[in-house]
Amino acid sequence: MSDTKKQEQASTHKIGIYLWIWGLLFVLSFFSYLVDWYQFQGLLRWSLILLFMFLKAGLIMAFFMHLFWERYALVNVLLWPMTAIGCFIFLMVAEFEYTVFTRLFYFVVGGQ
Amino acid sequence: MSDPKIEGYEFKPGFKGMAKDTGSDQTMFKGVHWGKAMMWIFLLSDTFIFSCFLISYMKGRGSTLIDWPNPSEVFALHVGGVDVPLLLIAIMTFVLITSSGTMALAVKYGYEKNRKMCGWLILATAIGGLTFVGMQAFEWSKLIEEGVRPWENPFGAKQFGSFFFMITGFHGTHVSIGVIFLFIYAYKTFKGHYDEEKRGWFTTIKGNYVEIEILGLYWHFVDLVWVFIFAFFYLW
Amino acid sequence: MSDEYENKKGYQAQSSETISSGSGGGGSGTVSDADYVRPSEVPEQDLYHGHSFITKWIFCQDAKVIGVQYFLLATFTGIIGLILSWLMRLQLGFPEAAGFMTAEHYYQFVTMHGMIMVVYFLTALFLGGFGNYLIPLMVGARDMVFPYLNMVSFWMFFIAVGVLLASFFVPGGPTGAGWTLYPPQTILEGTPGSGMGILLMCISLILFVAGFTMGGLNYLITVLQARTRGMTLMRMPLTVWGIFTATVLAMLAFPALLVGSLMMSLDKILGTSFFMPTILQAGEVLEYGGGSPILFQHLFWFFGHPEVYIVALPAFGIISDLISVHARKNIFGYRMMVWAIVVIGALSFFVWAHHMYVSGMNPWFGFFFATTTLIIAIPTAMKVYNWVLTLWRGNIRLNVVMLWCLGFIVTFVNGGITGIFLGNVTVDVPLSDTYFVIAHFHMVMGIAPLMVIMGAVYHWFPLVAGRFLDETLGKWHFWLTFLGAYSIYFPMHYLGFIGVPRRYFEMYDSPYVTSAVGMNEFISMAAFIVGAAQLILIYNIVRTLKIGKPAGHNPWQANSLEWLTPSVPPEHGNWGEKLPVVHRWPYDFSVPGAKEDFITQTTPPSEVAGTEVEKT
Repeated sequence: MSDTKKQEQASTHKIGIYLWIWGLLFVLSFFSYLVDWYQFQGLLRWSLILLFMFLKAGLIMAFFMHLFWERYALVNVLLWPMTAIGCFIFLMVAEFEYTVFTRLFYFVVGGQ
Repeated sequence: MSDPKIEGYEFKPGFKGMAKDTGSDQTMFKGVHWGKAMMWIFLLSDTFIFSCFLISYMKGRGSTLIDWPNPSEVFALHVGGVDVPLLLIAIMTFVLITSSGTMALAVKYGYEKNRKMCGWLILATAIGGLTFVGMQAFEWSKLIEEGVRPWENPFGAKQFGSFFFMITGFHGTHVSIGVIFLFIYAYKTFKGHYDEEKRGWFTTIKGNYVEIEILGLYWHFVDLVWVFIFAFFYLW
Repeated sequence: MSDEYENKKGYQAQSSETISSGSGGGGSGTVSDADYVRPSEVPEQDLYHGHSFITKWIFCQDAKVIGVQYFLLATFTGIIGLILSWLMRLQLGFPEAAGFMTAEHYYQFVTMHGMIMVVYFLTALFLGGFGNYLIPLMVGARDMVFPYLNMVSFWMFFIAVGVLLASFFVPGGPTGAGWTLYPPQTILEGTPGSGMGILLMCISLILFVAGFTMGGLNYLITVLQARTRGMTLMRMPLTVWGIFTATVLAMLAFPALLVGSLMMSLDKILGTSFFMPTILQAGEVLEYGGGSPILFQHLFWFFGHPEVYIVALPAFGIISDLISVHARKNIFGYRMMVWAIVVIGALSFFVWAHHMYVSGMNPWFGFFFATTTLIIAIPTAMKVYNWVLTLWRGNIRLNVVMLWCLGFIVTFVNGGITGIFLGNVTVDVPLSDTYFVIAHFHMVMGIAPLMVIMGAVYHWFPLVAGRFLDETLGKWHFWLTFLGAYSIYFPMHYLGFIGVPRRYFEMYDSPYVTSAVGMNEFISMAAFIVGAAQLILIYNIVRTLKIGKPAGHNPWQANSLEWLTPSVPPEHGNWGEKLPVVHRWPYDFSVPGAKEDFITQTTPPSEVAGTEVEKT
């Protein structure tokens, strides 16, 4: 079973890569904490929050959950359904803006 | 990682490989254990649950006319005479990431059949998870003391309390379930159940170190969800 | 990651040398290159075989038994739903005869009828019943991949049904908010069942979702990871494709229902205000405030629209197989059919708010959702054309199964076309909440899938029980149901056009009365007859179990694997010693040059060398 042996070694990753990702996650979390610490506001705050969030999520999925090493068949099956979520988010943003508009219009302005 | 070896099947890389895998017989995810495939699909479904929670939260927060409390102040901790914003949450985040790292290493050592190391790392993960749940309990009791309830909230919009308790509660439930399983798996690892392929609980499926990876997927997912909750609930 | 798992598990269980032709072949000793199928990579499953009555028939891990259990329980709840609809029709057609019924009762019956039929009857029956029975057999697996989880799934469903039915007996009765459960009225006083009723409904739905998730994981992984040798995705019968895609939809859509139910229960129990705006009731401002009722509608329909296709897609798949077998012709455009199923499934997540045109959502949404909704008509129409083209110049056997198939096509086209009316905002607004809508969705997702279920029962009963159902009784059953269903729902279109609103307990002295009364009586009469006609099927089944004609192996001369098991009905483990090896798609009917008019999936190419068989 020398074949098996060889594969085992190939299938596990060097410990370094995990430690690197681990370190990066700490750093990114710290950065996203700093966003709050320095009280950035507006577009800058949002873009930074989302940037760090997606970086962290991506690192966890890609390396800790091994998605980076999985075959595309699995990766695609997992990622495509997110378009439905994306659509849902996009539409609900439009929806809450409209709700605020109607509430302001009828309750505050008085519907005139 | 190299592709698994399957008799009579030649792997192709990238999208060509995807097309070939999808078009082949027997399995679509080549070399992926049934349990692991199941966990992935389950997590996909769970992602939709958490997404629905967070989307509802976004809709609720976005459309309220009463001011939303500033999370940076609400979740501040009073340390040494100054209010440090989000301190507890930051520590919780670090704890959860730490436990995620130990879990990743546990999976690695599991595949290397390093029983001891794998077991200790799972145990460390479990303790990390337990710490997280403990800190969340502390955070909850602090907020409840300050008068925040699911149905009301002295700082502003009612929905703040509702969404906070519901979403962190649901996430905390996930963590707690994970912690229970981590302890069980640590026990099973130390006992050597995965080395001798003992039959698992409830099922007729024989145990194997791949189960550690399946549990790992769940645990990383819990961490992943926290990344989103941290960004949307605490930093927004 | 799991390399060593494979190596350990002995993927070489059947090496390439041991290939022999499957059950269809003559077992020639030599294997030609054309017959080569690569060796097995899926580990042999060790199954738990029940040995007592309880482990064999009650807490059973055999997918086929679980399928039958699902089927029976779903049918039982379906019959309750049917009785509720009778009561509703009694009130609408003959109010003086329904003196025992108050308006509250009527709303409760409407609600429970809707919820039972959509979720606990059709979904459970198609995915739980047909899915469990057919998926392992059709893809050539010994069982579902997680038999234990599968068993738990059924018993969760059992508890969910129990909780649902328990709500009939709690103070206040079941919820009467309409099956869509729209807040805020769902949990406000004055709505029937706003106390325990709605709570039990939410709990029951949550249990159903949890149980279904377990089952759904099983179906998906069995289809994706446990097919037999030679069974590629594009060689699967369309039945499996339909059930598979529907399960994907369910796994992604039910979360929204779960979240909605959970938040609604919290609104009820804890008094949170997720869905509850500031409300003035009887001059008093309630505790609630600031919530968003429309959020629930979005969550509900994000589940609710895929739910329509969760019911429809298995029906599409099953009907394709039935038509192909009984018209002795390959399904027209198999690949197109598969892609149509997948595209319909994917699109169904982008159309949900067409149920909400009059809800007061962002007005721009009407444009977006009307567009996406009408796009769905394209793959759906493709499917209808392909069914018709499959029939065209086929060698049609006009038996009961084929009658149900034809009935389905007609009904589905009918319901589909009214769907195009309702998908357009400007047409929908006046028709919203009228009987036109009732007629539309009953045609398209009530009667049409029901026709498929009936056809499937007549088709697969010889497999499940080993005996044919009686044809003459079957024809009576079909014609009564078909003509009766049309008598019910055709006039409803007219009622909708003259503006009769749905969910009204009675019409009082409204101007509709003159023309609506007579028609309501007629519809009610038809409903009683159609409901009673279903007794014919029950009688037929009971009779057949005793004195039916034995079916034997492969009675319909079908190609797909479920008919090729060594024993009929198939036993636990399905395949005896050896798993089948698949060489072709399941639609090789009437191939020119072949000895018989069908070539089973397990027939190796060398045996049909001289024919014009397609390469699949």
